[in-house]
Amino acid sequence: MIYFDNSATTRVLNQAADRASRTMTESYFNPAAAYGAAFSVEKEMNAARSFAASVLHVRPEEVYFTSGGTESNNIAVFGALRAARGKKRVVTTMVEHPSVYETVLAAAKQYDAEVVYAPLNPDGTVAVEKLSEVLTPDTVLVSIMHVNNELGSVNDLEQIGAKVRTYAPNALFHSDGVQAFLKYGFDRMPCDLYSVSAHKFHAPKGIGLLYVRSGVRIAGGQIGGGQERNFRSGTSNTPAILGMDTAMRLYQENRSVWHQNMSSVKIRLFEDLSSLPDVVLNGPSLEKGALHILNVSFLGVRGEVLLHALEQKQVYVSTGSACSAKKIGKNRILHAVGIDGARQESAIRFSFCPFNTVAEADLASEYIAEQVQLLRRYKRR
Amino acid sequence: MKKVLLVRYAEIHLKGLNRPYFERMLVDRMRDALQPIPARIEREQGRVFVYDVPEQQLAEAARRLCTVFGIHSVSPALCVEKDWEAIRQAAISELADVADKPSTFKCFAKRSDKRFTMTSEQICRELGHALLEAYPNLSVDVHHPKIKVTVEVRQSSAFIFSKELRGVGGMPVGTNGKAMLLISGGIDSPVAGYMIAKRGVSLAAVHFYSYPYTSERARDKVVELAKIVSRFAGEMDLYLVSFTEIQLAIYDQCPSSETTVLMRRLMMKIAERIANNCGAQALITGEAIGQVASQTMDSLACTDDAVTIPVFRPLIGFDKEEIVEKAQQIGTFETSIQPYEDCCTVFVPQHPVTRPKVDQLRASEALVDFEPMIQKAIDEAECMKISQFIFD
Repeated sequence: MIYFDNSATTRVLNQAADRASRTMTESYFNPAAAYGAAFSVEKEMNAARSFAASVLHVRPEEVYFTSGGTESNNIAVFGALRAARGKKRVVTTMVEHPSVYETVLAAAKQYDAEVVYAPLNPDGTVAVEKLSEVLTPDTVLVSIMHVNNELGSVNDLEQIGAKVRTYAPNALFHSDGVQAFLKYGFDRMPCDLYSVSAHKFHAPKGIGLLYVRSGVRIAGGQIGGGQERNFRSGTSNTPAILGMDTAMRLYQENRSVWHQNMSSVKIRLFEDLSSLPDVVLNGPSLEKGALHILNVSFLGVRGEVLLHALEQKQVYVSTGSACSAKKIGKNRILHAVGIDGARQESAIRFSFCPFNTVAEADLASEYIAEQVQLLRRYKRR
Repeated sequence: MKKVLLVRYAEIHLKGLNRPYFERMLVDRMRDALQPIPARIEREQGRVFVYDVPEQQLAEAARRLCTVFGIHSVSPALCVEKDWEAIRQAAISELADVADKPSTFKCFAKRSDKRFTMTSEQICRELGHALLEAYPNLSVDVHHPKIKVTVEVRQSSAFIFSKELRGVGGMPVGTNGKAMLLISGGIDSPVAGYMIAKRGVSLAAVHFYSYPYTSERARDKVVELAKIVSRFAGEMDLYLVSFTEIQLAIYDQCPSSETTVLMRRLMMKIAERIANNCGAQALITGEAIGQVASQTMDSLACTDDAVTIPVFRPLIGFDKEEIVEKAQQIGTFETSIQPYEDCCTVFVPQHPVTRPKVDQLRASEALVDFEPMIQKAIDEAECMKISQFIFD
């Protein structure tokens, strides 16, 4: 099997799965309980929080565990709008993941806010130099993703953060960091809110975190037993939190080698595919794009048809975000950067993990070449 | 006082000497639909009665019977002795849950047992009086009553009811032979199958897919649709036929503008053979005149030409909107609109012919020896039993 769909989800590392498993069967105590055994789980959990904080260059008390990217994004967007008073404006982009895009629309409707979309460059990044046109003093929330999940466009959050502070001083700056975390970082956290999902870096599903800058006032998530400093109640999901901790530590330890691997696989695959005619790279250039995401159109071949043809060879890819794979209609993200028609219909997203190899890229591209040649014979004439 | 279901049948009324046959078939279908709810079903002069259903399952039983073809309507009724006092009490308790708010009513009576001492008119008059006395909120309105209280005095007992649930009508499945539905996964074909089954025809179905170019989910969706149709149409065999080889041969060797119509001709041929093998006497498709290029009148003539058995197209004069409405009623719409490529959309020509000629298509078809491929597709077809009782 060749798994090139790591932006959808990743395989859990054995060490992370083991730790989650031990937490379920041995140290399964509720970390909020009073006895010593439970306290030691709480300490492990706090160590996990501290480590995550150190990766983000923030303080541990600014990190809240959630059920993942979607929940973090929901809390950030709804929380920011609920807390704001008076005339409201939200600035976001047309290429956000549905958990931001749809949430912004829903929250704006509920709290009577105006939604404005930031201008984009053709490669899917935000046009920073034009950002001042949409940022205003009555802007209460700016939500711009760090790395785009379909195109791999990487935004410079430090530059964007500086613009936000200058032109929209009353706004909270949120970024969906789900595809970026552990791959792209910063020396100083430029955001007020930052979302992370664990299953994108070889940890279990159903866990993630939200960074909330201390002093930032947003209304919290669930109400109940007061866990996560009364911000997000519910018994702490310790197996997933500690599994995530292990995966995060391993990633951080091996970061430079792993990055190198993904980037070589990506470059190799594109080189291999470039020998085919009518292959177009979507989104940013190879060097500028995210090191683990490659979006390519094979003109004349329907993406979904190629996907299933590759599936037969156990090569797994995607035609877009898995979160929109079951939705009807055109691809919003590709459309937003002017990719439509035949080019959009034929787009395939490859996304890599540190354990993919150059040999896999070679093999996959052989299959792809074979199928593309075959399928093009039957293309619309 | 027993709670029973009084079932009226639809068109079976129009039958003459063979009416008992249709009634028996209807009772069989009712029995199938009620499984595993315990019930005793009895036929009696233009009605079917369902006795002995546990009270907490009565509503579910009525709901299920409303999906049985051949049933006009179902009334949950109270069954009592043919005794005025018993009838009076039953009518009062029948209205107990609706009489707390002001409303209007009218009494109806039918007395098929003429030995009963009161006439229909007397029953109505006395019952109206009793109800007015029991429920001060109620008043009589003989023109537009909100509640219609009916008493039927029959040979066996008396029945009192005030509600009537509409059934789907039609004829009991199995009374009019068997036909083979070509089911695609779209909106139209499940509706077409439903409409023919409604006329008492049992169904088999055939689906074509293009492994490996269509997804497993697309196939699953068809199975799901067949299950929904089988809630009404009863058990059916679904044949899943891999069409890729034939499709590729068409694309390789036949004129590209004719591919869609040729594909349809070959699908019809395969469906006809499977129909012959499984005792189906006709094909059913979801086509409507002019909906797409392959459904113009010329195209339909060309697909008809591919087979000798009758082809039923119950949606032929429907607008898309009407078909969608029907699909929503049946419950197939939500499943139909899941967006997966099916074998027809995998490779489609940009400009299909809209006015194909039969001779031309026969000539194009003769360019390829399809026979071995057809035989192979049929031999390798997978057959699934689809039943309304599979809930997974």
